[in-house]
Amino acid sequence: MKDSRLEDRDTTMNDTKISARGVQVHYADNHAIKDVDVEIQDKTVTAFIGPSGCGKTTFLRCINRMNDTIDICRVNGTIEIDGEDIYDKRIDPVQLRRKVGMVFQKPNPFPKSIYDNVAYGPKIHGLARNKAELDEIVENALRRGAIWDEVKDRLDAPGTGLSGGQQQRICIARAVATEPEILLMDEPCSALDPIASGQVEELIDELRANYSVVIVTHSMQQAARVSQKTAFFHLGNLVEYGDTDEIFTNPRDKRTESYITGRIG
Amino acid sequence: MSDGKHILSAFDRDIEALQAMVLKMGGMVEAAIHDSAASLESRDEELAQKVRDGDKRIDALEEQLNEEAARVVALRAPIASDMRLVLAVIKISTNLERIGDYSKNLAKRTGLLLHLPTIEGAPQSVRRMAREVERMLHDVLDAYIQRDADLARDVRERDADVDQMYTAIFREFLTFMMEDPRNITACMHLHFIAKNIERMGDHVTSIADHVIYTIEGAAPGSKRPKADRTSVDRIET
Repeated sequence: MKDSRLEDRDTTMNDTKISARGVQVHYADNHAIKDVDVEIQDKTVTAFIGPSGCGKTTFLRCINRMNDTIDICRVNGTIEIDGEDIYDKRIDPVQLRRKVGMVFQKPNPFPKSIYDNVAYGPKIHGLARNKAELDEIVENALRRGAIWDEVKDRLDAPGTGLSGGQQQRICIARAVATEPEILLMDEPCSALDPIASGQVEELIDELRANYSVVIVTHSMQQAARVSQKTAFFHLGNLVEYGDTDEIFTNPRDKRTESYITGRIG
Repeated sequence: MSDGKHILSAFDRDIEALQAMVLKMGGMVEAAIHDSAASLESRDEELAQKVRDGDKRIDALEEQLNEEAARVVALRAPIASDMRLVLAVIKISTNLERIGDYSKNLAKRTGLLLHLPTIEGAPQSVRRMAREVERMLHDVLDAYIQRDADLARDVRERDADVDQMYTAIFREFLTFMMEDPRNITACMHLHFIAKNIERMGDHVTSIADHVIYTIEGAAPGSKRPKADRTSVDRIET
C-alpha cells in the first residue's frame, strides 16, 4: 500500500468468500452471463457496475440461487461459498439464503408490522430464545438499518405504510437481522434520498467488518465511495475486476473507461 | 485515454474550455519567457515593462483556471481519465504561473542591469538558455494537446541540457567576478536570472510529468538525468 491513510481500503489479505468459475446463465435462448470467473473476498465490499442488461443482477442472483425460481433460467459452471458448491443437490436453498441475505431495488416489506418484518427471519431460524432477545435483535437490526429513531415509537404499525426510503431501510434491517455472512444488494439506494443513501453506505461500510457485501449500483460515485473491489460487466462478460481505486483512476479496459466516464462506448 | 465523446455534451464543452485556458496561459507564459530574455539581450526597458505588466494577466488566468477546474469537479464529478485531466490542469496552471513569475523577475532585473556594466556574452548565454526552455514549454504543451507521452518524455530528458547550460554560465560568471570585482553586482543579478531559468526548466519538466500522468495514469517512474551539480560539486577556481 502506498499510503497509510488508505490502509483500511487494502483488501489484499482477505480470504476468498465466493468463488465463481465458468459461470454461464441462459434465460431460454438468451445467453445472459458468458463464462464468468470471479473471486469475491470476505470482509470486502464488491461493487458490480455496468449498463442495464449487462448481467450484473443476474450474476448477483446466482449467488443465493434466486434464479432457481425462474423456470427458463439455466445456470452452468460452479459457484462456491467457503469452498462449498452452492448448486450441489445437498444444499438447502433456504439455509443458503439465511447465509446470503439480499436487499432488492424496490422495497418489498411484508404486509405485517414493522416489528414482525424484522423479527420474521430470526424467528423462523430460531435465533432468539425469548421475547427480550428478539426485541434486542429487532432493535439492533433497525439501528443498523439507520431507521430505528424513525420507527421506534410505532413498531406495531404496518411496514407498508412507511415512505419508500423508510421501507428500504426496513428491508435492509430485515436482511441483517439473521446475521448473514454475505449480503447481496441490488441497487439498494435507488429509492433513497442522499441522507438515507449516506446512512446505508455507512451501514455497508460497517457490515464489511464481518461480512462480504456485493452491491449492484448504477451510481458510479456510490460504487467508488462504498466498495474496495469493482467488477465491470458488459454484454454478459466480466470485462474488468480489480481494486476500486484502480478502476476509478486508471481502468485498463477501454470499455470500462468509456462506461464510467459517461462516454459513448 | 478515452477519446469518445461524453454522452452529456456539456461535459465535453467544460473539458474543452479548460484545455483552451491551459493553452492560452501556456502561450502567454511562452511569450513572457521569450520577451524577458529578449529584453535582457537588447537592453529594451520598454519590452521588460511589458513583461512585468503582463504577469498580472497570467496570474488572473491561473485563478480563473482553478475556479473553473473546481466547478468541473463539483458539478461533473470526473473520474478515470477525466479526473486525471482535471488534476493535471490544476497542477499545470500552478507550474505555468511560477514560470510567469520567474519571467517577471527576469524582466525586473533587466531594468536594473541597464544601469550596470555590461558582461560580455552573458545576455546571449542567458538568452540561449531561455530559448531552450521556451522550446521545451512549447513542446510539452503540444504533447499535452496531442496526447503524446513520448514527446513529454523527450522534454523531460532535455531538462538536462538546461541544467548543463546553467552550470556553464555559473562558471563563466565566477570567472568574470574574479577578474574584476566591479562585475560582481551585475554578475549576481545575471546569476539569479540564470538560476531562475534553470528553475523554469524544472517546472516544464514537472508539466511533462503531469502530461504523462494524464495520458498513462501513472507518473513517469524512472529518475530523470540531473545535470545541475552546482549545489553539490566543488568548483575549482
